[in-house]
Amino acid sequence: MFKKYLTKKLFFPVTILVIYGITFAVVPDKTLTAFKSSMKIFQNLIFPLCFIFILMLALNLFIKPKHIIKYIGRGMSVRGVIFTTIAGIISMGPIYAWYALLKELKEKGFENSLAAVFLGTRAIKPFLLPVMISYFGWIYTLTLSIYMILGALAVGFCIAVTAKE
Amino acid sequence: MKIAISADGCELTSKVAHRFGHSRYLIIIDPQTLSFEAVENQSSEAQSGVGIQFVATAIERKVTGVLAGYCSPTAESYLSANNIEVLTGYRGTVEEAVKKFREISLPDFLYQKSLPVETKGIFHKKAVLDALKSSGNQLLNMLPIILGVVFLIGLVNTFFLKEFTSSIFQGNYALDSLMGACLGSIFAGNPINSYLIGNELQEYGVSLFAVTALIVSWVNVGIIQLPAETAAFGLKFALIRNIASFCLSIVIAICTVFTLIFFMG
Repeated sequence: MFKKYLTKKLFFPVTILVIYGITFAVVPDKTLTAFKSSMKIFQNLIFPLCFIFILMLALNLFIKPKHIIKYIGRGMSVRGVIFTTIAGIISMGPIYAWYALLKELKEKGFENSLAAVFLGTRAIKPFLLPVMISYFGWIYTLTLSIYMILGALAVGFCIAVTAKE
Repeated sequence: MKIAISADGCELTSKVAHRFGHSRYLIIIDPQTLSFEAVENQSSEAQSGVGIQFVATAIERKVTGVLAGYCSPTAESYLSANNIEVLTGYRGTVEEAVKKFREISLPDFLYQKSLPVETKGIFHKKAVLDALKSSGNQLLNMLPIILGVVFLIGLVNTFFLKEFTSSIFQGNYALDSLMGACLGSIFAGNPINSYLIGNELQEYGVSLFAVTALIVSWVNVGIIQLPAETAAFGLKFALIRNIASFCLSIVIAICTVFTLIFFMG
């Protein structure tokens, strides 16, 4: 299972490495330029990645999935929407894990529209905000985050209107 | 009296699974006589609802309690509703877990929800180590793809970014947002990669409209994830949500940039 995991995770970077090998054989100068350009990008990423790790640690320490479940509203009330929005923002992990959980909650009465809001607000990753801020600035990050929350609510509204059960 | 333990194997020497229900076997065991039965999980780990099968088995076999490293709130609620106590924080082999359970003493079992003292509290050593391990795993999961993207950006920057960007992004804010949204919809994965790519595109003169639409649609629109979303919520939900998210990513891009222009000049 570890071997399968390793193969899956390393396939893409190893492919890129192979491409570098081929391009180096054909155009070594340009490939070196490409490599230096990539190293510069990576160097600028190291500090934000460390900060990401610290934020992830804090979130994993203080927030457990059962806290998030407690916050997810079960009705289309203002409180339900607010709590679902917060839950979506603080949720972590791959989306596939959350599909399974949301499906189970759906069977217990969780509205489709709230599921759409949850999935939309997952686009805002608190632990990745340092990277976004370092690239685009905090004003852009704040403005975009606000519009993304509004967008998620709008998608939830669309689902409520069109995909009623 | 019987208890259930989620395990990676069918023997007493098998390791207790970290998460109840997400393992190959469920060991139904009498903690006093140590006689046991191993029930194999018929679903694969990748299928949704795999934990529910073991919950159903525990209820059907009328176990009194369940031991696991962790139990999801949903599974715990089903088990509790059927008067099955859930004890979490168990590690090691099945035999070690049963021994630990017996040490707690059987009457106390009815009143305890998890291992006491040594595992309670967020700043306890175990909780911190678990959080460290989880965060480390999450970062390690992200790193290979991030590295791949970083080095791919170097190649693209050097060999053909200028030609690519000038052919795709014409400078019209609406069309650029549309193209950015289209690009973001195709890709998937950790959003940090969209920030990396977006930043590089911006350095090559691509408008913030396109970059913002790329970032928003990267996470919200999932052509690759569509089958999984359909399986969980149905085709109608998946299609409507993705189409609405695609359209809104363009709207969000335009609104974000115009807001910035309005307030910052």
